[in-house]
Amino acid sequence: MSFLSEAQLRDEFGPFIAFQEAFGFIPNLLQAQTLLPRVIEAQAMLETAVRLREGAISRVQKERILLSIAADQRDTYCMALDSRVLSSLGLSDGQIGDLLNGSRHAGLSAADFASLQFCLKLSRHAPSVCRQDIEALRTCGLGDESIFEAVVVTALAMYRCTLSLGLGPEPDFGPPKLPSTRIDQPLGPTPLGSLPDPHEAAHRKGPYVPAPYLSPKTFAPFAAVQRSRGFIPNFFRAQTLRPDLVEAQLEAMGRILLSEDALTRVQKECILLAVSAANLNSYCVAMHCDLLRGLGMPSEDGDQIAVDHHQSNLSQSDAALLDFAVKLGTGDPEFSRADVVKLQTLGFTPEQVLESVVVTAFNNFANTLSMGLGIEPDFAPPPVFAETKVHLSPAAPSPMQQRQEVVHVSDTLQDADADLVALAQRGQLEAFEALVRRHTQLIYRTLTAILGDPIDAQDAMQDTLLSAFKHISGFQGRARFSTWLVSIARNTAFQRLRTRKNVESLDEGEYGEDRDFRPRQVRAWQDNPEQCHSKSEMRQLVERGLLQLPAKYRVVVMLRDIEQLSADDVARQLGLSVPAVKTRLLRGRLMLREWLSPYVTASYKGAAQ
Amino acid sequence: MITCEEFFVEFADYLENHVSPEVRQELELHLSQCRVCQVLYDSSRKTVKIVSESNSFELPQDVADPIIDRVMAKLRTKGS
Repeated sequence: MSFLSEAQLRDEFGPFIAFQEAFGFIPNLLQAQTLLPRVIEAQAMLETAVRLREGAISRVQKERILLSIAADQRDTYCMALDSRVLSSLGLSDGQIGDLLNGSRHAGLSAADFASLQFCLKLSRHAPSVCRQDIEALRTCGLGDESIFEAVVVTALAMYRCTLSLGLGPEPDFGPPKLPSTRIDQPLGPTPLGSLPDPHEAAHRKGPYVPAPYLSPKTFAPFAAVQRSRGFIPNFFRAQTLRPDLVEAQLEAMGRILLSEDALTRVQKECILLAVSAANLNSYCVAMHCDLLRGLGMPSEDGDQIAVDHHQSNLSQSDAALLDFAVKLGTGDPEFSRADVVKLQTLGFTPEQVLESVVVTAFNNFANTLSMGLGIEPDFAPPPVFAETKVHLSPAAPSPMQQRQEVVHVSDTLQDADADLVALAQRGQLEAFEALVRRHTQLIYRTLTAILGDPIDAQDAMQDTLLSAFKHISGFQGRARFSTWLVSIARNTAFQRLRTRKNVESLDEGEYGEDRDFRPRQVRAWQDNPEQCHSKSEMRQLVERGLLQLPAKYRVVVMLRDIEQLSADDVARQLGLSVPAVKTRLLRGRLMLREWLSPYVTASYKGAAQ
Repeated sequence: MITCEEFFVEFADYLENHVSPEVRQELELHLSQCRVCQVLYDSSRKTVKIVSESNSFELPQDVADPIIDRVMAKLRTKGS
């Protein structure tokens, strides 16, 4: 028996048949998940695509990676299982013993040895993997496809080890026989020295292996992602060398993350965020902060979970859920059945505990894959995360141990306004006035954008400033002061709108209705369109165009193109997901383009002549 | 070559200079052969430039000052 109760599934349950055929039996790791058959389906999809399907590296090479990582993680369950599999593929007990010992005497080729070493480094401390590691593999003769598969197999190994740690299945076989002599040259990364220089790494963009363009028109899974999320994350774009693996991951993800019969979407996203943060994975942190914002969580709350969830606004039981997931996800050797029991005494059902284990396992799959492929974040991670969490020494295997002290976002967030804010909070009016003058245009433009009327916006200025002063003592510094000011201006503007008729909503239609917009005007523009009107004429033209836009597009265009904030900052300030901001921005820009077109097309003979 | 529809899927990111080299290559190949998308891209880029440089809705100092002065006066009388 594993840590959780199990259910009896029908013999003809598809994934069981698949495992029966591939391995000759149904592993206890799968039996341990029978409370939620959909998560077994997910694992079967990943294993079939990553482990069993023919690819650039052989089945034996893949199994070697899985066994070496299991041994390195001291996962006795996977060690026993994978030893048996390798034995069935024809490896001798001696060869298997060498792999279990982490020795280089396993008769490996130089390329296989380098590949195993790389996989172990990735599994032990993913943030320390860098482009040079990939270059080293290429020097040993590994091709892009082989490198890519080695990364995905490592990710699968982390998925299985996390599952086995969290579920505690009985081994399917007795422990493998180890040779009596320990061999002295351990396999594994040289600890330091290969740590990437963060500044150098920042210059080199893009994933480590090529990612051929794949069209949503011909690849249905991309079309589905585009529809549901409004964009295709780099996580999937970076894997187009093997579209079948992308498809399998999306299918698995759907089964693990989308269903709400056990944990809620928000709970699962919080797990993904907290564990990714503990694993120092800025790609996934940025992704899940954005998803949580899309699910309605305020930016500051998501940021606080990324930095230290104990200081966030989560309920006590949800905070305990994240403690559980982080302990499991970082492979804490102290993790035990007691952690599972504790979660159940807090009121979580066995199904919910099982799901939190599977979500954590999938998180480690995604964390490992994104670090191993060097995937560029789609969005900026919370500023505070980026500043405090990069590049710890790989000598510290558990990042969690590095942050025993309580961390508040406000302690580390760099904000040029911080000093003045502190004075203003103590009642210093001069400091408050200086802050207001610094941000006058930002406040005014936010008001104009929402109200759609400059005169009305001037009226609303006074209310906004008074409200800001009244509430400034409650400002906790979890976001930048300017972000907070924008939210005050937003609230003031909304209050005024409520007294009007025909209120335009800023929230409706995340991207659905916006997607079908197509530009109509196709006449070419002049080379220097700004020269056919005076500066003040041009400004008037733009202002009139902006006032004609629906408010939800106008706000985004004004903050991005006129206030020159990044799309990530606009999303934070408006409490929207970044994809929603990008969609609205494009729509707004294209509407302005239509509006400006008659005045600047090549055939225009205007005031300048 | 990709279609106009496929070009349009990547258009927002292309305009923001936020696409991978592989995608950029596809988009630029399409642009070199499609007059309609060329015009769309060129005019959209110019729109962003015009809007960004327009200084639209800048509150003039002589309008802003009295508003801020009024607010500060109110806060001072409240405070004293």
